[in-house]
Amino acid sequence: MTSAAGTARAAITPPPATAVPTLWPMLRLRWRRDRVQVPVWLLSLGLIALLSGIAVPASFGTVADREALVQIAVGTPSILMLRGEPRGPAADALLFFSLFANLAAAVAFMSTFLAVRHSRAEEEAGRSELIGATVASRVVPLVATVLFGTVAALGAGAVVAAALVVAGLDPTGSLLTGAALAGTGVVFLGVGLVAAQLMCTSRGANGLAAAVIGVAYVLRAVGDAGGTPAADGLSLASAWPSWLSPIGWGQRTRAFTENNPAPLLLALGCAALLVAVAVLLQSRRDTGSSVFAERAGRPAAGALLRGSWGLAWRLQRSSILGWAITGLLFGLLAGSLGETVVDLMEGNPVFQNVLVGLAGGPGAIIDLFTATLFSLVGVIAAAAGIQAVLRARQEEAAGVAEAMLSTGLGRIRWLFDYLTVGVVAIALVLVAAVAGAAVGLLPTDAAADRIESVVQAGAAQVPAALLLLAVAAVLVAVLPRLCIGLSWGLLLAAVVIGQFGDLLDLPDWVQDLSPFSHTPVVAAAEVDWSGAWWMSALAVLLAAAAALGIRRRDLAG
Amino acid sequence: MNPVVQTRDLSKRFGRVQALAGLDLSVAEGEVHGFVGPNGAGKSTTIRILLGLMRAGGGSATVLGGDPWADASALHRRIGYVPGDVSLWPNLSGGEAIDLLARLRGARTSDPAYQARRRQLLERFQLDPTRKGRTYSTGNRQKVALVAAFSVPAELLILDEPTSGLDPLMDAVFRTEVAAAVAAGTTVLLSSHILSEVERLCDRVSIIRAGRIIETGTLAELRHLTHTEVAFADADVTPAELAGLSGRLPGAQDLVAGDGRVSFTIDGAALPDLLPALAELRVQGLTVSPPTLESLFLRHYGADGEGQSDTPGASPDQLRHER
Repeated sequence: MTSAAGTARAAITPPPATAVPTLWPMLRLRWRRDRVQVPVWLLSLGLIALLSGIAVPASFGTVADREALVQIAVGTPSILMLRGEPRGPAADALLFFSLFANLAAAVAFMSTFLAVRHSRAEEEAGRSELIGATVASRVVPLVATVLFGTVAALGAGAVVAAALVVAGLDPTGSLLTGAALAGTGVVFLGVGLVAAQLMCTSRGANGLAAAVIGVAYVLRAVGDAGGTPAADGLSLASAWPSWLSPIGWGQRTRAFTENNPAPLLLALGCAALLVAVAVLLQSRRDTGSSVFAERAGRPAAGALLRGSWGLAWRLQRSSILGWAITGLLFGLLAGSLGETVVDLMEGNPVFQNVLVGLAGGPGAIIDLFTATLFSLVGVIAAAAGIQAVLRARQEEAAGVAEAMLSTGLGRIRWLFDYLTVGVVAIALVLVAAVAGAAVGLLPTDAAADRIESVVQAGAAQVPAALLLLAVAAVLVAVLPRLCIGLSWGLLLAAVVIGQFGDLLDLPDWVQDLSPFSHTPVVAAAEVDWSGAWWMSALAVLLAAAAALGIRRRDLAG
Repeated sequence: MNPVVQTRDLSKRFGRVQALAGLDLSVAEGEVHGFVGPNGAGKSTTIRILLGLMRAGGGSATVLGGDPWADASALHRRIGYVPGDVSLWPNLSGGEAIDLLARLRGARTSDPAYQARRRQLLERFQLDPTRKGRTYSTGNRQKVALVAAFSVPAELLILDEPTSGLDPLMDAVFRTEVAAAVAAGTTVLLSSHILSEVERLCDRVSIIRAGRIIETGTLAELRHLTHTEVAFADADVTPAELAGLSGRLPGAQDLVAGDGRVSFTIDGAALPDLLPALAELRVQGLTVSPPTLESLFLRHYGADGEGQSDTPGASPDQLRHER
């Protein structure tokens, strides 16, 4: 067959034989779109590393302080689950222990969001069709996303390493910490890209990727909680489950103590494999298709779909179900591990005295353990609620809210329908978690007491979640264009302040800003519920403010 | 001469839906080829296969002498594309999107010729390139894609319902630009269901139905397939005279009298015999209309009433609209 270029009329200049540089424009497009988002991620990570790098040595100045702290940590599985693998009383080792797993989870989210944003979301919006019809075609955009995501992960590692060096920590350990974070980042970049190939919507892909991050975090947590303590009680060797987790691999570098980069090879290999799978799928499938295809919908509306509430529920029921399942799993974990924890401790005379003295009896230790895990369930519930009310804004931006509001539906009613779906989401997550915990606790001694305590721990999470939900509703009403980023940012800040406020040595007034700091702690003999009451009152006031705000502003595209 | 686009027995299936069922399309060099059919007939699926965005399920497709799936990158340098449903990056301006797409087709955006062309197109389409993608209306998003497509010379332009969001003034600008591109040697495949547009622009037309091309040819050729409509005022024409008329012209069909008009259709070849007969009757207000594309179209789709029922209902493009 002769080339059509040869037969084209003279007026159309045949393209020169040189290759069109498509990778560079695609990379620049990614940077252009993310030039605020990615730097904000990097700076936040760097700031957390810097502040804790300064605070930990300052708060725990003497070896004796740190030894006491590490001993408590080694003997307390709930601390291990939320922190990591303690490796001795050195200040930098203590920092790596308390910080790494959580920073790694944050980098993982940065990477999966980035991956999905530049792959499935583009495809869903139809923009990849515009790009696919150019020389860039089908695979170059994916390659550009891989490069951009790798640069972002390396950037996160570099920023954190630099922050730790600035904080005065050992440069080798700092660098390895950064490298381990970057390694986690590229693995989850691959996870996000494969999820984007599998699912037909960006929501679905983000959800799947988040579930993988959750599994990785929990595997590592179980590995740490089930680890073998050293004879001196000052360090721990994680159990095998942490080898199944990319976050665990980073932790296994044991930066500042052993400085062993070898586990990062696992991360690189895994990332390469995932990227290869994504490229293979991408190069073979149709634009717009996915491995798991979308099912056909029902031909007529169901009974629930009779108004704005029904719509808000219909649009979000599957993601709310996903959040509730996450809550159920956390609850099961909290309930079923409680007794194991006590058994472990009773078998280990080194910690038994420390811990029983600290918490007051094996029952109280289980309560403390579940209360710690339930503080995470509270975060999950708040996230579920916030996502539900932010959907109102997404509907508005997509232009579909206009169709709803041009019917007899009032604006306050419209916003409150999304708000109440958020309340339902919070309730479902917590009920599922409590139910899971109750099932897990059934075989334990005095199960009724433990279950009562878990019900209280679940109820204690409600006010903080409601407050954050109401704040998100006010933001939707007042700052429509910024509300999505601000709401998630506030949740993140509340979590960081609530979970790491002590570690970061933040002043009390800053710690008091986080609703989670006021969540009643159900492990104490006398539970102080005052915070719960005023947070609930504030949530109601804010909901009223949201009602006022939504009536006053224009709809914004 | 090789056709610019050639498909043979092209098929594509989405789950249970057969979107294309043996489609044979041929677009010759230098022509404006109309690709006509109702929603869901398979137009967009065909176009996506021609662009290598989708892989053919069966049969073969050749575009500019290459395989659209395997040689996608190389072919896309020579192809301009305007999708039916243009989506832009929310935080990129229209101007940025145009330059990006031009660069991705191998244009140097610093080239004065490109800049002059871009400026001219922005002016003609009255498009403000500084606005962000999220603030454009449907029509303006379409203009961004049109400017991007026309600003880089292409051997083949594939336009998928490119004017569905444009006002009549912009429609006229669009037709001028297509004519200019054709004069410069570009071949155009124009998918549309706006039949008047196809009639005004296209040299040849292919009508697609349920994933197959059921009619293809120049408008003149297609017109032979159907009848000319003749109508006149019925004042001064007696029923007897009418009956005599239809007796003299056995080719006349669908004779209807009412609303003060008499109308019937007749084969184009019988027209010379008709005219003396009409003159004898001294008819008033005579109109003789050649068949429109619409009547052709309705003949295939409307007459037997099954035009809608057997069209594949769920092309991916429709699914996306519904989300």
